[in-house]
Amino acid sequence: MKSDRLAAIRRRIAEGGYRRNRTTAVPHLLPELEAGNLSWPRRASRLIRRMCEAERPVIEPDERIVFARTVPSVPPIFSQPDWKRLTAGHTLHELGPISNICADWGMVLSQGLAGRRRVATETLREMAGDGEAVEFLEGAIETIDAVLDLAARYREAAERMGAHEVAGILARVPAQPAETLHEALQALRILHAVVWMGGHYHVGLGRFDQYLGPYLAADLAAGRLTVDTAEELVAEFFLSLNKDSDLYPGVQQGDNGQSLMLGGVRPDGSEGVNELTHIALRAALWTNLIDPKINLRITPETDLSLLTLASQLTRKGLGFPQYSNDAVVVPALVRHGYSLEDARNYTVAACWEFIIPGKGMEVVNIGAVSFPAAVDAAIREGLAAGDGFAGILRRTAADIREQVSVAVKSYARLLLPPAPYYSVVMDGCLERGRDLSAGLRYNNFGIHGAASSNAADALAAVERLVFKESPVAPAELIAALDADFEGHAALRQRLLVEAPKAGNDPEADQLLATLFGYFAEACEVIPDNGRGGRIRPGTGSAMYYVWLARGAPGDAAPPIGATADGRKKGDSFSANLAPSPNVQMRGPISVLQAFSGIDYKRVCNGGPITMEISDAAFSDQEALGKCAVLVRTFARLGCQQLQLNALNADKLRDAKVHPERHRNLIVRVWGWSGYFCELAPEYQDHVIQRYQHAL
Amino acid sequence: MSCGTVCDIRELTLHDGPGLRTTVFLKGCPLRCSWCHNPEAQCSEPQTIEAAGQRRTVGTRYESAALAALLNRQAPVLREVGGVTFSGGEPLLQAEFLCEVIERLPGLHIVLDTSGYAETAAIDRVAAKCNLVYYDLKLIDPAMHRRYTGCDNALILANLQHLSEMGIPFVVRVPLVPGVTDTGQNLAAIARTVRGLPGLLRVDLLPYNRAAGGKYPSLGMSFAPGFDESAVVHIETRPFVEAHIDVHVAGAAGDGTHTDSPDGG
Repeated sequence: MKSDRLAAIRRRIAEGGYRRNRTTAVPHLLPELEAGNLSWPRRASRLIRRMCEAERPVIEPDERIVFARTVPSVPPIFSQPDWKRLTAGHTLHELGPISNICADWGMVLSQGLAGRRRVATETLREMAGDGEAVEFLEGAIETIDAVLDLAARYREAAERMGAHEVAGILARVPAQPAETLHEALQALRILHAVVWMGGHYHVGLGRFDQYLGPYLAADLAAGRLTVDTAEELVAEFFLSLNKDSDLYPGVQQGDNGQSLMLGGVRPDGSEGVNELTHIALRAALWTNLIDPKINLRITPETDLSLLTLASQLTRKGLGFPQYSNDAVVVPALVRHGYSLEDARNYTVAACWEFIIPGKGMEVVNIGAVSFPAAVDAAIREGLAAGDGFAGILRRTAADIREQVSVAVKSYARLLLPPAPYYSVVMDGCLERGRDLSAGLRYNNFGIHGAASSNAADALAAVERLVFKESPVAPAELIAALDADFEGHAALRQRLLVEAPKAGNDPEADQLLATLFGYFAEACEVIPDNGRGGRIRPGTGSAMYYVWLARGAPGDAAPPIGATADGRKKGDSFSANLAPSPNVQMRGPISVLQAFSGIDYKRVCNGGPITMEISDAAFSDQEALGKCAVLVRTFARLGCQQLQLNALNADKLRDAKVHPERHRNLIVRVWGWSGYFCELAPEYQDHVIQRYQHAL
Repeated sequence: MSCGTVCDIRELTLHDGPGLRTTVFLKGCPLRCSWCHNPEAQCSEPQTIEAAGQRRTVGTRYESAALAALLNRQAPVLREVGGVTFSGGEPLLQAEFLCEVIERLPGLHIVLDTSGYAETAAIDRVAAKCNLVYYDLKLIDPAMHRRYTGCDNALILANLQHLSEMGIPFVVRVPLVPGVTDTGQNLAAIARTVRGLPGLLRVDLLPYNRAAGGKYPSLGMSFAPGFDESAVVHIETRPFVEAHIDVHVAGAAGDGTHTDSPDGG
């Protein structure tokens, strides 16, 4: 499949070739917007129009799917003072613009933008007396026309340079319903990129193989495509997602949320895995770039050949695919108020949060609960008050409830800016004459449950060492924590070695499940998040495992010091669902079993079990097969989400310099395993060198 | 009930048997192979090792029931997709303990990974409880074997015969150590020794890797391999192929198939 043509495009992207087309002239909108005294919704649609107008077509002769951004940033639509006035008393989510949701791309591709425009004009006629609707719909139409103009200019440019195939495709899409896979991919490329041009970010691609599968099937049946030529098109589309990704905001390069979902059932419950599922996995395998981020929905029955193909992708070391288990996720979503059909149609937001394409205006990463803070406070207050262990647990539950309650009160000030173009590609906005920001069918918030393993380990340590075995005096424990274990090395050693640890010991696993139970309870008692939705608790940590330990950017001091699991002040907490960083593990089966104890029906915001496996574990076909069986085991144990990271030479190098960050890094050498950090330096170098040449 | 000393327990060990396996490395070994890559498993007693500024104890004492209970927590998974492998060190040094543990693991696929240097009675008792045996053969020449392992190989060769007569399926594993075990002469001798043995499933060749010595410093030991570590490993399958013995080279590209259920059992 690796055609020279695609290799050339890939090289151009890797070398930053598309950035050369970028202009420094970003449209300056404020004078126009202020002169017209335009409302916020009208400013948002004017922004899309001017951004589209400012784009200059970029078409390389070897491309079959075109579009690359030339305007590198999004200008403000309010002056600083106006913006301050407008947002006074409110909080914005992260950067402000609506983010981290997923459009109904299948709907837009099947209607075409001209079809969406007809819907808008129809509603406009019906709702002529409704000022809000008129303003929204006129703005939405303005954005549709802007995108159609942009596509027309691309078509003209293609014609001028003799790129007749591209010109022919752009003569039909994105205006008309796509009829072929090629048309659908070209339309999607433009429709998706324009969302970013409005300042939105973490713009997901949804269930790629589901909404595009029918186009592929038709092309294959008609002989327009073969599996190979289809794979080349999909690979080119994947490449195209990397043309502008350096422009997309995130915590780090690559944190851009260009996630897509493969596999899973159809809304009617029938098997959804199709030819495109396999083609997309193979295309990603060849592309070997960080975008798009592949997710794969599986069940305990998923075919091992599909899991083996996915394991090949894991071997690349990019950290995907991320797996989610339909057998767990779908019932949990139903329990949280999603219809069965919608639940079956779930995808993920930028990272892992489960959302419904086109139907959710959810803020699934609105905040986080700090489990270590709750446990630390409970231990200190409980021991001071002479509580038993049950009392400490009660205090932990109360602290978590309080954290959720305080957070939710602060969310009442949330302000979602209007998003006229994003509304065009969602379900029901044009039909109801209401902007996306006013809400959709699902309007829930999601809260991460951060650093759960460290917190469970701290509880387990207190239970075992203070209340059960050769007791540690409460005052000694508190003194040791206050001193960051300086002068208390022996006690720290006991906390580290003798106490049960999540991932290794059922007592700690049970406490971890208990913590998530408290978290679920704290969310369940909140009937409404202020937008007609609920609060969904999750198992992810996002960046909080660092922020809680060392302080978020701008914090004067870390929010929490040394903890009773033996962790010193400043050391990172566990990320997502993973054992505490300094705990030596037996391996992945114990880890999966540990996290299978969480009641995922009540904890459904997502957040993967995160495991790192040496890429030597993928050395041959038999080992890949074992990896596939491990993934199936994840599903059979009733876990919810899984991220497997293959280790590469870079990580090993870091481990050599910072062994404390990689205690569990295991390298496989000649039929045996060793802890990388315990190898002498020269041997570490040797392993690094060998891994550089690994498959 | 007897107690045993376990060096380490590791899950998803990829080359220790069919399917997903959890391997128990028992502590203590009568051999002193000059290329030994698990030096922490040589001594029968728990040891403290120090690396990267952190100390930890290698070697945990378990009652047989306690070790079995720990392994049985995974039984629902392992019964379906793999099993448990007992390796070392030399697991047969703790035959009594091992028997008690295995008896408490009903329905689990068990692999014994042994050097063969043990009392024949120990092989008898333990192998009979296993589904598959991984049997190491290093050197056929007795003098060479003494030189590089510190032990005579007569017992190992006799036990191989005995194992074969027991009717337990087994795989012969040959570490390919450059200039020592990887010579054409030694490989041909191994092929002659194992050909036609009832129960032999295949021969696995395990090419030596230079990281073998990496663990020695943290144990306060020095690594003196007694051969040229940098020499290229000579990987020769011909003697086995000619003897119609199925032969695999560890780490080599596979054949596109994988095992979904344990074999050899």
